Amino acid sequence: MLLTLLTHQWKADVRSSVFQKGLALNIIMGLLILYFGGIFLFLGFHIDDILLKVFPSQDPVAVFNGGMLYYFLMDLFFRFMLQEMPVLAVQPYLHLPVGKNKLVHFVLVKSVFSFLNVLPLLFMVPFMVSAVVPAYGVGIALVWLLALVALTLCNNFVLLYFKRQLAAKPLYTLAFGVVVSALMLLDYFDLLSLNVASRAAFGQLLLQPWLVAVPLLLVAVAYTFNFRFLKEHTYPEELQVRKATKVSGSNIAFLSRFGEIGKLIELELKLIWRNKRPKSTLFTAAFILFYGMLFYKEPYMDGYAMLIFVGLMMTGMAMFSYGQFVPGWQSTHFDALLTQRISIYQFLKAKYWMFLAVTLFAYLVTLPYGLLGYKILIINTVALLYNIGVNVFIIFYFSAYNTSRLDLSRGSAFNWQGVGASKFVMMLPLIIIPLLIYMPFGLMDVPYVGLATIGGLGLLGLIFQKQLLQWSARWFRKHKYKLATGFRQSE
Amino acid sequence: MLTVKDLQKVYNGTVVVNIPELTIQAGEAIGLVGNNGAGKTTLFRLILDLIRPTKGEVYAKDVNVAKSEDWKAYTGSHLDEGFLIDYLTAEEYFKFIGDLHGLSDGDITERLLPFMDLFNDEILNQRKYIRDFSKGNQKKIGIAAAALSNPELLILDEPFANLDPSSQIRLKNLLRHLRDQKRMTMLISSHDLSHVIEVCERILILEKGQLVQDMQTNENTLRELETYFTV
Repeated sequence: MLLTLLTHQWKADVRSSVFQKGLALNIIMGLLILYFGGIFLFLGFHIDDILLKVFPSQDPVAVFNGGMLYYFLMDLFFRFMLQEMPVLAVQPYLHLPVGKNKLVHFVLVKSVFSFLNVLPLLFMVPFMVSAVVPAYGVGIALVWLLALVALTLCNNFVLLYFKRQLAAKPLYTLAFGVVVSALMLLDYFDLLSLNVASRAAFGQLLLQPWLVAVPLLLVAVAYTFNFRFLKEHTYPEELQVRKATKVSGSNIAFLSRFGEIGKLIELELKLIWRNKRPKSTLFTAAFILFYGMLFYKEPYMDGYAMLIFVGLMMTGMAMFSYGQFVPGWQSTHFDALLTQRISIYQFLKAKYWMFLAVTLFAYLVTLPYGLLGYKILIINTVALLYNIGVNVFIIFYFSAYNTSRLDLSRGSAFNWQGVGASKFVMMLPLIIIPLLIYMPFGLMDVPYVGLATIGGLGLLGLIFQKQLLQWSARWFRKHKYKLATGFRQSE
Repeated sequence: MLTVKDLQKVYNGTVVVNIPELTIQAGEAIGLVGNNGAGKTTLFRLILDLIRPTKGEVYAKDVNVAKSEDWKAYTGSHLDEGFLIDYLTAEEYFKFIGDLHGLSDGDITERLLPFMDLFNDEILNQRKYIRDFSKGNQKKIGIAAAALSNPELLILDEPFANLDPSSQIRLKNLLRHLRDQKRMTMLISSHDLSHVIEVCERILILEKGQLVQDMQTNENTLRELETYFTV
């Protein structure tokens, strides 16, 4: 029975839209997987050499062991951010004569096959082969690996448990977070050395292999906790991670002054705030604001092209990452918008003003970087002008090709739903065209003329904003049937 | 009010809708019946300019719906949940639709009054988003929003589906009220033959995209329809 359920799951995964996206995306995804897998494999085989170079007098296995506790704490953190609750899939079976125990086991066993559990094997196994086996022999090395796998799974189940508790008993999860942070802090202030503890624990394991019983026991305990909890809560409404909260409708009075455009902006702000995916997309984009810290130093400060790139990204990232899905954000109610008294011109104009506001906001936030040099100030101003004068219309141009329906209820990290090859194609011109415009001026060694040209183009776009918007609306109208048809197809 | 000329929609060589001619007078209530796959929803989508006809045109007040957006001002419609903005509360949604038609908050409250029976205290002041309502209640929200602007033309796809018996009867009375008092032109599809003949004075039967019968409702209509659909 468990096997049948797992094959169903396999079918669900293989037949999911992710794999039926078209060749280009699959190739890109395949390359990404190969790339990261390759890095992990390379690390696994060479980490002993690297460790030996960095800590010449120490045994690489001991150094590796010393890092394990940090690794598992980091792992917990990443899991908290990324790991999805494998829950709702049991709903179709709950009314069938299948034992509850089996379903619960299924849900738990299924979670073992997540990439967060498989990826670490890619460097643990090679490290075991290249460093642990020669030093301790095959038997003990396998026991060592078993302990690491057990701890990985232990993390997996511990996190599932606490993440599930998050809705019902937030204090539990808070306490758990406090303990983890306290450990990190104690280590930071040298009050307690995780490194030493980690070395001692895994070192002992290599000497006394029977100690592997400890991590195995931990997994069993974590598994049992999960099992008991799920068993008592097999009702779909209780399994849902999101707790139904009372909401209150609200209006943003300030925006209603701008008539229908204001209304549309208000609607879009609510869309962003009340759905998981757009919210997390924007939060991720906010991280780009820190790009300056990476790039505003030697040797990048001498040149221009790199700084233009950084300026475009910092002022425009929110617009780029939100804009690449336009109008897919409205895909679930696109028919509603088409049949209401809203013209396409108004629809795009609302978006235009939002992009303008968010780009300007990013510009203002990154203004302090100007203290590092007036050059940054000039370049970011140029980038701002170009983003709101030219790039915004490039986004509108490509928006006519975004025909896939977007599921707003899931986070944006590693979410390939609704991502088509066109997304990758459209991000390129946003960045490359201004750099190409700059290139001849850079080669002729008149960088400021180049900057003036880019800024001037942006200014032209601002001046002819109305005409460009009308042109975008005509372009969009031509493609509206295709868009509406695409959005009606849920995946 | 509505004229369909030589309308055809073809998907991959299959003719889904093929209506050479159809005229609907202002104030007429039309019931559209037909088995699954007869092309009812496709016809509605063609009328609402949501899909591009393979051939032919739809004219609302003698203006081609694909060429001008004038029809949006006097048309209210609800086909499926794709017409709802699901991350809003019901109140916010009504307000949004009301604003588009220049209605004040007072107007909206007043126009929702006739719907209170149908709402059965389950729609307003629920403090939840539309996506968290049941299918039936979502349908009620959609129908109320479509009728909110007192449109001259009201288009509803299967308004009785997913509703409980009391709600069905209340909705039926409500639609008759809208037809008689506001002289709304209505286009309603339904699988419920008895409801649809009570609301509509003219019944169209659609089969495989073709208009096979066009009749005025009288005391024998229900029997005729049942005979027609008895295979």
